[in-house]
Amino acid sequence: MSEAENETQEIVNHDLNSNDSKTIVIGSGVRMEGKIDGAMNSDISGTFNGKIKSDSINISPSGVLVGDIIGSEVNVSGKVEGTISSDEQLNISSSADVKGTIEYTSLKASYGAKIQGKVSHKGIVHSIKSVEDELPNMIDENKI
Amino acid sequence: MSIFGNKDEKENKSEERFNFLLDQQHEINQSTLAKDIQIHGSIEAKDYINFDGSINGTIKAKTVNLGTASYMKGTVSADHVTIEGEVDGDIQGKDVYIESSAKIKGTIRYSNIDIQDGSIINADLTYY
Repeated sequence: MSEAENETQEIVNHDLNSNDSKTIVIGSGVRMEGKIDGAMNSDISGTFNGKIKSDSINISPSGVLVGDIIGSEVNVSGKVEGTISSDEQLNISSSADVKGTIEYTSLKASYGAKIQGKVSHKGIVHSIKSVEDELPNMIDENKI
Repeated sequence: MSIFGNKDEKENKSEERFNFLLDQQHEINQSTLAKDIQIHGSIEAKDYINFDGSINGTIKAKTVNLGTASYMKGTVSADHVTIEGEVDGDIQGKDVYIESSAKIKGTIRYSNIDIQDGSIINADLTYY
């Protein structure tokens, strides 16, 4: 068995032991294409091309994902090209490289993380004060 | 920043000038612009600006700290930028720190970025 296979086996065993059946693991060195839906936990250490819909998604440092990520808790330490949508917590670690569109509810990005693209906050956007509304009045007051 | 709280405007201004002179004696110049300041235009400094007011314009320095009460529409560019307030415009910095109280709309250009939980960002991000 190669090192990558061993690693995958270990993760699979670990998850089977923890009785968590709704888990998908793509081990490092593994390439996969398609659509994942209905999973509780998704752990990507290999390369995945497609769409993942899962409660918790983890893209480890060796993981590469091209496509769409939809999840509640999303941790990215690897490479993502596409869209990320997170309903709860999105963590982007310093080793991550993200290109594309991010929609988040709560976002933590560590110093060094590479993020390129459109980042937007989900839900009610608290209106940013319009400076046109405020500043001209202030200036007028100063003149008087 | 509440040092200006109960004073009239003249006193505020003189105190600010006094602080500025004090700061000049240090090797690093540090300018603090408090909550009740509104600026239309640009601020430029060699070293450090701590801004907590409202500005429609540009801020440029080596280190810029936009405090929790700050509101800026326009451009901020510095080597190190810390955002705690609201920004509607462009942020450019080698190191950009976005704190949990920050609300950002616009663009962010950075080499290194750090984003804290709770911040609201609706922006285009690019790194250089």
